[in-house]
Amino acid sequence: MDSRLQAYLDGELPLEGLPAELRARAEEWDGLLEDIRATSPTGAPLGLDTRVLAALEGERNAGPAGWLAWLLRPRMVPVPPAAVLAGAAAVVLVLGLFGLRDDGTIADSRVYVQFVVDAPTAQTVHLVGDFTEWQPTVELDDADGDGIWSGRVPLLPGVHEYMFVIDGADWVTDPHAASYQDDGFGQQNAIVAVSTLNGT
Amino acid sequence: MVDRALKGSDRAFGEIVRRYQDLLYRHAERMTGRRDDAEDVVQSAFIKAHRNLGKCRDPERVGAWLFRIGANSCKDHLKSKRTTVPVERLPDLVATDGDPEREADLGRVRTDIERALHSLAVEHREAFLMKHVEGWSYAEMSETLDVSVPALKMRVHRAREELQGLLQSYGS
Repeated sequence: MDSRLQAYLDGELPLEGLPAELRARAEEWDGLLEDIRATSPTGAPLGLDTRVLAALEGERNAGPAGWLAWLLRPRMVPVPPAAVLAGAAAVVLVLGLFGLRDDGTIADSRVYVQFVVDAPTAQTVHLVGDFTEWQPTVELDDADGDGIWSGRVPLLPGVHEYMFVIDGADWVTDPHAASYQDDGFGQQNAIVAVSTLNGT
Repeated sequence: MVDRALKGSDRAFGEIVRRYQDLLYRHAERMTGRRDDAEDVVQSAFIKAHRNLGKCRDPERVGAWLFRIGANSCKDHLKSKRTTVPVERLPDLVATDGDPEREADLGRVRTDIERALHSLAVEHREAFLMKHVEGWSYAEMSETLDVSVPALKMRVHRAREELQGLLQSYGS
């Protein structure tokens, strides 16, 4: 296609700027584009918003039990190449329950989870997730300078999504997570499932 | 509103859904060629958005942020299917004054256009629709899709060339 016609269709050249032989083709294109726009859907069908909100409610009601069953199903776990290139490798260790009263009842059902990531060239590493409202408020520590960063975070029982933020800019998926969830931006959130001893 | 949704307000998130569902749906139906697939894609996009609301760095631009999630959901959906999408009959929106011959002509043109659009590479179709049907500028497309302006122009140029060739081959 003639580059001047492309420029016209890009809005960079007025119709008058085209030679006569291209003007007719430009007008044909205008007609074609008008036809395409005329057959475009006008909007979402009635009730779509209600169905979206009902699906969200259904997902919420599935609760940890449903998620845990889903997590336990065997599956292929994809490892994003970007995370491998970044040299990140993380291990999540559930350390145990805290907050047991003397009588054995649970005062605080939060579980401390240790996050570890191998990021030898990083200057800072933050853990972000639904439990931090995706804000970089949890800074991991590399006290001995060996490039392995770690930190313990109290999490409520349930399924949590998280990522690591290297040097305040690079969002990296944990390549060793138990499972993953598409984040809608071409990356994946890692998932950690936290349960208490009584299975809640 | 994003802040309130982030704090757990279902009403605020419901308002976000109502405000942006048309934007996402129109793109999804054009991309997938099917109403039921478009509904599934939009539903899945809003669920992903709800789960990742805290990653929306600029609440003022939540529409563009949602559109990107929706556009990525469309591409994921189409790539997972990897099949030819049967194009549904579109509603008659152009006045024909009841002229049966004109109605038949327009119907054939529409079918050819839909067939040609769905023969384009997914990224070319996306760029073409955003530019020519949804009215985005290249700068807005670049910011929303995180693709450079020259690359987007190339996609749109290729889409036009491919469309032209396809429509000629159909005799439209």
